Amino acid sequence: MNITLNWLKNYIDFDFTAEQLAEKLTMLGVEVETIKQLGIAIDGVVVGKVISIRPHPNADKLVLCQVDIGKEDKLQIVCGAPNVRDGMVAPVATIGTELHSGVFIKSAKIRGEESYGMLCSEKELGISPDAAGLMELAPELSIGTPLAEALGLDDTVLELEITPNRPDCLSLIGVAREVRAETGNELRHPQIELNESDTETQGVTSVTIDDPELCPRYAARIIKDVKVGESPDWLKQRLESVGIAVINNIVDITNYVLMEYGQPLHAFDYHKLNENRIVVRRAAEGERITTLDEYERKLTPDMLVIADAEKPVAVAGVMGGHETEITDSTCDVLLESAYFSPSSIRSTAKTMGLNTEASYRFERGADPENVILALNRAAQLIAELAGGTICKGIVNVYPGKQEPIQIQLCPERVNFILGTELETTEIEQILSRLGFGIKMVQQEGLDQEAAPTEDNVFQVTVPSFRVDITREIDLIEEVARVYGYDNIPTTLPKGDIPVPVPNKLAEVRRRIKNFLLSSGMMEAINYSFVHPNCFEKIRLSEGNPLREALKLQNPLSPEMSILRSTLIPSLLNNAQHNHNHQINNIALFEISTVFVQDKEPTRVSGILAGEIGGGVYGNPYKHPDFFDIKGIAEGALEVCGITDYAFKLTDEPTFHPWRNAELLLDSKRIGILGEAHPEVLENYELPYKAYLFELDLNALTEAADFAKQFKPIPIYPSIQRDLAIVVDKEMQSDLPIDIIYSTGGKLVESVKLFDVYIGDQVPDGKKSLAYTIMYHSATETLTDKVVNDLHDKVIRKLNQELNAELRM
Amino acid sequence: MKKELEAIQAEVLQALKQINTQDQLESLRIEYFGRKGKLTDVMKGMGKLSKEERPIIGKLANEIRSSLSDAFEAAKTALDSKQQGQQLKAESVDITLPGRKPTLGKAHPVMQILQRIEEIFMQMGFQVVTGPEVETEHYNFDALNTPPDHPARDLHDTFYLTDGHLLRTHNSPVQIRAMENQQPPIRIIVPGKAYRVDYDVSHTPMFHQVEGLLVDRHVTFSELKGVLVSFARQMFGDQTQMRFRPHFFPFTEPSAEVDISCTVCQGKGCRSCGHTGWIEILGAGAVDPEVFRAVNYDPEEVTGFAFGMGVERIANLQFRIPDIRTFYENDLRFLNQF
Ligand SMILES: [Zn+2]
Repeated sequence: MNITLNWLKNYIDFDFTAEQLAEKLTMLGVEVETIKQLGIAIDGVVVGKVISIRPHPNADKLVLCQVDIGKEDKLQIVCGAPNVRDGMVAPVATIGTELHSGVFIKSAKIRGEESYGMLCSEKELGISPDAAGLMELAPELSIGTPLAEALGLDDTVLELEITPNRPDCLSLIGVAREVRAETGNELRHPQIELNESDTETQGVTSVTIDDPELCPRYAARIIKDVKVGESPDWLKQRLESVGIAVINNIVDITNYVLMEYGQPLHAFDYHKLNENRIVVRRAAEGERITTLDEYERKLTPDMLVIADAEKPVAVAGVMGGHETEITDSTCDVLLESAYFSPSSIRSTAKTMGLNTEASYRFERGADPENVILALNRAAQLIAELAGGTICKGIVNVYPGKQEPIQIQLCPERVNFILGTELETTEIEQILSRLGFGIKMVQQEGLDQEAAPTEDNVFQVTVPSFRVDITREIDLIEEVARVYGYDNIPTTLPKGDIPVPVPNKLAEVRRRIKNFLLSSGMMEAINYSFVHPNCFEKIRLSEGNPLREALKLQNPLSPEMSILRSTLIPSLLNNAQHNHNHQINNIALFEISTVFVQDKEPTRVSGILAGEIGGGVYGNPYKHPDFFDIKGIAEGALEVCGITDYAFKLTDEPTFHPWRNAELLLDSKRIGILGEAHPEVLENYELPYKAYLFELDLNALTEAADFAKQFKPIPIYPSIQRDLAIVVDKEMQSDLPIDIIYSTGGKLVESVKLFDVYIGDQVPDGKKSLAYTIMYHSATETLTDKVVNDLHDKVIRKLNQELNAELRM
Repeated sequence: MKKELEAIQAEVLQALKQINTQDQLESLRIEYFGRKGKLTDVMKGMGKLSKEERPIIGKLANEIRSSLSDAFEAAKTALDSKQQGQQLKAESVDITLPGRKPTLGKAHPVMQILQRIEEIFMQMGFQVVTGPEVETEHYNFDALNTPPDHPARDLHDTFYLTDGHLLRTHNSPVQIRAMENQQPPIRIIVPGKAYRVDYDVSHTPMFHQVEGLLVDRHVTFSELKGVLVSFARQMFGDQTQMRFRPHFFPFTEPSAEVDISCTVCQGKGCRSCGHTGWIEILGAGAVDPEVFRAVNYDPEEVTGFAFGMGVERIANLQFRIPDIRTFYENDLRFLNQF
């Protein structure tokens, strides 16, 4: 909502500059978002009067004017406007002025004649598009005053953000009340004096409320013989300065009063109302109305309408009807001022997709006690500005009158909650400045005034405009905000720190993340939403439960319409994005929850593709392969202290059928990894191989074992023996390792595969595997003989079990 | 004989100056000290000296011998070090060649900031708690005193699932769950993702929040200020000023929006802060009694405060990324900058 400084000053005195006021309001919770100076564009433009005119000696279409701008010397100004005449009062841009259009005024010779300024049109001043002639100013304006001041344009507009709990601030008087809370200055309400005619309002109209729950109050006045036309300048300027469109004097007045009191009003053309009367009721099934914006709208029985004897003439509290609106030919006006139930207005406005100044206020909560004040104020202004006579009395139907809310406030509780040491008198002063009724009563809630002692409490009466205050805590907030949040002390919590609960998942997550970072992978974060086609793109098999993803009802786009059940498509998308931007060093991982039916397991997933490594001298790029991704998975398990696991080839269609593995823990799958299938690569337009893994962090957490135990450092030396064997090419390379360990027993300290060879040196269909075996005893120094015997036994065993030939 | 000895000493010292290699040094040594060396020869003539002369010349000969031996030793050391120097020079490298730096990964910038926020609150005794992102209306709204016709519940803001669930619009549901699961005192922070239907240069439909909750028998608004001021000083620097403005949230009363002094202009006013000198960073307030009632706490018995902040917003105070959607493109040229 916008307000202007000068307009606000109509209702309360204050000495603040716009900036100071903005600061005060903001610190009261009425946030000022922008401050805009009006009239800046016409700085240097003053009111001038043409005192004589003579023809320009060298140009037919130009004249030479002598212009009075309130100084001793009159200015000679060359002018070409068709409407310039002797005695005319018009704006003068003086030397040094920069006009709205960017034109800079300097003394100049025009066709040989000196000109010391410029007489301006509205367009040249940026006031309106009118360029037909000079802007005509009222002759009574004081010559020489700055134009902005003369026109009331030297004002400042403040844009306020009013939180939804404070509809009482959606008006100038409401904001003035906040200024009162700050300054203690008294409010100045508009003086309302009505000259009523003898015609009784009750005799010419009636109001029936069929649904008092949705319409607790409805009041109407009739103003006869109005002259509909343009509003006076001051009224137009006021409305325009706060961003309200100017329509005609009647509508402008209702909007002016809306801004003044926060009470929405509506004016009907009295003669277009069937039987000239008002019925407030729910819409009947199938009824329709064409609203002011000339859209025909369907009405439903849950909507409240204002009807005449036959049909709806307005959507209550939201928008008037087109048929009964004020037009140039309107002579009698029925003026409505009412209070509607907020939830009803909200639901109607929402259904219709309409958000009007009226619905905005009604749905947040207007003040039912404002209804008559605003009605009278508007009637007064209509009589003043549009002529007409006000019928006698008001039709005021008020079936829903509420008693004011009473709240007990314990002053100690204020300090208890805020951590302050406020005196009861300070609390009392703050609340009464805010318009609350306040008196001290005895603790037990007797409605009897009492002395301000510790045992006593305040009995606070909430004014009708404060719809947000229903509880003691609400009053405490009022005290806090007026006292000033900045004045509340700053202390540290005194309570005990709760005993921490260990969080194993967080620890696993942290360890794996650190490991992946130290392995040179970058952390990615992707949206939880993905395109439903991602399952096709990664060739997920038909029956895979990951396909049963949760769907959004209102997605932003198809690309973001389901919740991901796997992180792999997101990382492939990232690879594609980077490849499209010529970045091909793809080593990314993501740790995130995914959505699988009603569970949200945490996953870690990664991708290696293109060229990884430093790409510099000494650390060249390399193409990743299956064993890079497998090593990453193994490292992740190692940092979780998991040692007992197995890899097994799978038939998951996402992967190369011979270069993939599932990771098994107690024969349960806890992850998968491998080279992306060529079709998957094609689907993501990747020209090189990509290696992927995804592990279930919840399963890893279950198995993780961070406990470490000291093992004595070997006292006796280890003896190394290397062993190369030739076996069938298809044989798994971990089989010999198992045999070596089981044959050597406790004396085998470690076995490492250090070479795999397939080629000329071995027969077709065979491969050579080379191992380093470390023999060691914890109790003695092993002799060569012991080791040799054992090593021979290992070789025999390998030969027996795997048909392995010793390679010389 | 004395003269002879002195002449040899002078000769040897002179010769040593000409020596360039270990071999030359050895030949010289043999020439004078060897079995047939010149010094040895002279020494052989000692027998011919008188009894009076012998000890004098003998002493002199020993002195000369010892000093020459030292001179040889010095010459050898000098030769050794010269030789080593040459050898090391042969091993010189071009030190301007790049270091063989291990390829290091980097945490996502949003995660870096999130982690920093977590650390600061953990130092103040807050525990990290997480909860589901798919939520019910009850936990996301009702239990947080947000009635069904509150603007925050408009379809416009919330992502709904086809099964009637929704994506949490803030991390506050986890506060409710935490209070349901344990009794005060509670001192938790809730980091994690939240979702709102919003997509422009300053909004992503998924974002990260850190919410905090402290509940105990007597928690005051002044303590809320204390915790947040302490956070801001650590996060944004010692000199950071903080401003608490009254605001409205359905689940806190009194509520505040909290600004810090602009990190660009230090509060003087600039474009970044809209010339106010302040930048809003979080929302906070005392827990509304209705929220306590929703989790069966007695608002007469306990009080508390809660706060919530957007991680991207805080991250961007530092990074100044013009379009925050860039965070989630995972462009490596971007990720590598942090
Ligand atoms: Zn700034």
